Amino acid sequence: MFDKKVVRRRRATLAAFIGLSLVMLTAYFGESGSGVFHTFQRGAQEALAPLETGTGRALKPFRDLFGWFGDTLDAKDENDRLKGEVEALRKRLGESDTATREARELRGLVRLARDDGFPQGTAPVAARVIAHSPTVWYSTVKIDKGSGDGIKEDQPVIAAGGLAGKVTRVTGGTSEVTLITDASSAVSAQVMPDGANGIVKPELGEPEDLLLDFIQKGRRVTKGATVVTSGFTSSKVESRFPKGIPIGRVSRVDLDEVELYQRVHLEPFADLRRIDFVQVLTSKGRGAQEQAGVLTP
Amino acid sequence: MTATPGAFARLALIAVLAVILQLSALGPDRLFGGRPDLVVLAVAAVAIYAGSFPGAAMGFGTGFLLDLAVGGTMGVSSLVLSAVGYAVGRYREVRDPAHGLLPIPVGALATLGWVAAFAAVSFMLDVGASVSPLVLRDMLVTIALNTVIAVPVFALCRRLLRPALRVDPLDLRRKRQAPRETGPLGLRGLEI
Repeated sequence: MFDKKVVRRRRATLAAFIGLSLVMLTAYFGESGSGVFHTFQRGAQEALAPLETGTGRALKPFRDLFGWFGDTLDAKDENDRLKGEVEALRKRLGESDTATREARELRGLVRLARDDGFPQGTAPVAARVIAHSPTVWYSTVKIDKGSGDGIKEDQPVIAAGGLAGKVTRVTGGTSEVTLITDASSAVSAQVMPDGANGIVKPELGEPEDLLLDFIQKGRRVTKGATVVTSGFTSSKVESRFPKGIPIGRVSRVDLDEVELYQRVHLEPFADLRRIDFVQVLTSKGRGAQEQAGVLTP
Repeated sequence: MTATPGAFARLALIAVLAVILQLSALGPDRLFGGRPDLVVLAVAAVAIYAGSFPGAAMGFGTGFLLDLAVGGTMGVSSLVLSAVGYAVGRYREVRDPAHGLLPIPVGALATLGWVAAFAAVSFMLDVGASVSPLVLRDMLVTIALNTVIAVPVFALCRRLLRPALRVDPLDLRRKRQAPRETGPLGLRGLEI
């Protein structure tokens, strides 16, 4: 038969664990970034970093094998899509001479930086990604460079192709990077070349699709336009991005007659599903930042 | 499970292995848009072999470690995994299952509970972004992949836990085999 003592003890244990979790949750939300839990978290991350680095490197072949299965399955669809793109590009090739001349003029007008996403006044620090968040609710990665390498919080991070995110936590030897696909991310952006401004936000669960929101109806955005950072951010979390880092290309435009703003879908330039290396744009100095057009929100 | 330092060490080893492998070895690669989740399988395996109390403790500890390592909101994973570990452990205590393919349904249901409860808690914590329907696909794929890898993961956890277990459900299964048909009539089925 049931032993009442055992039942009581078992239920009390579960209640204690759940209570402890709720206390942690509440305290974590209530405290500042320098609070006990945040500090403890930073310490634990620094302690776990060597273990994660070693395991990640040792098991990379298995990870690649796992990735290979996924890539193979996607290859057929990608092949069809690329064939269509080649056709479209052939048609556009004839228009390219005219477009080049026009583009040169537009470049001069909007002073679009043509330095592959490296704004002036910043010193890029290359880092290896050593851990990735396991859920779709938090899009963060951990890198193997920290404050010892000159990295500070809120510095922008780029991956091959464009903007990847920003540094949100730094320890001596590691840093946490919150990607632009994280729920908390919001980056002010500008559509080139017409200059329409908006806020790039993620769509959870779809890392290849970002939303450019709050663009007024009057500013028509066309498919294929390039979107870059506009030099300041607007979100609950304060952060700063230099002007001119490429973010993505407009893939679709939804215009609801009822809504005040257009909803523009972007395909990010950086492949955020699989990043092994990133560059953190550390600042060379305040003067250099101002020269690069960094604004405080 | 007997509460000895060795048993705690084994639980800690499973928790650390699951979290480190989940974060570093599996990485960001996705299959059909999702990826397996070793952490919840490890918690479910401990709960099914050791019971509700070790299951809840393992869930809490593993969730705590996961929140620390990922840098997410402290307490979310602990909360959900404690409940998952306790539920799976209670299922074992009440129903006393012993089938060899038990890890498959248990792994699938535990993963379903984990992803659904984690999503619910995340929504309650006010996610500041729109949520794509593809999140559902991600959840379903995770459940399917966990169902596929549940048997080897449970077997590995059982191997690590076995010296500390008071009763092994798979041993119970062997004991439930049909009685021998030989021997004196009066002693049939008495295993003498």
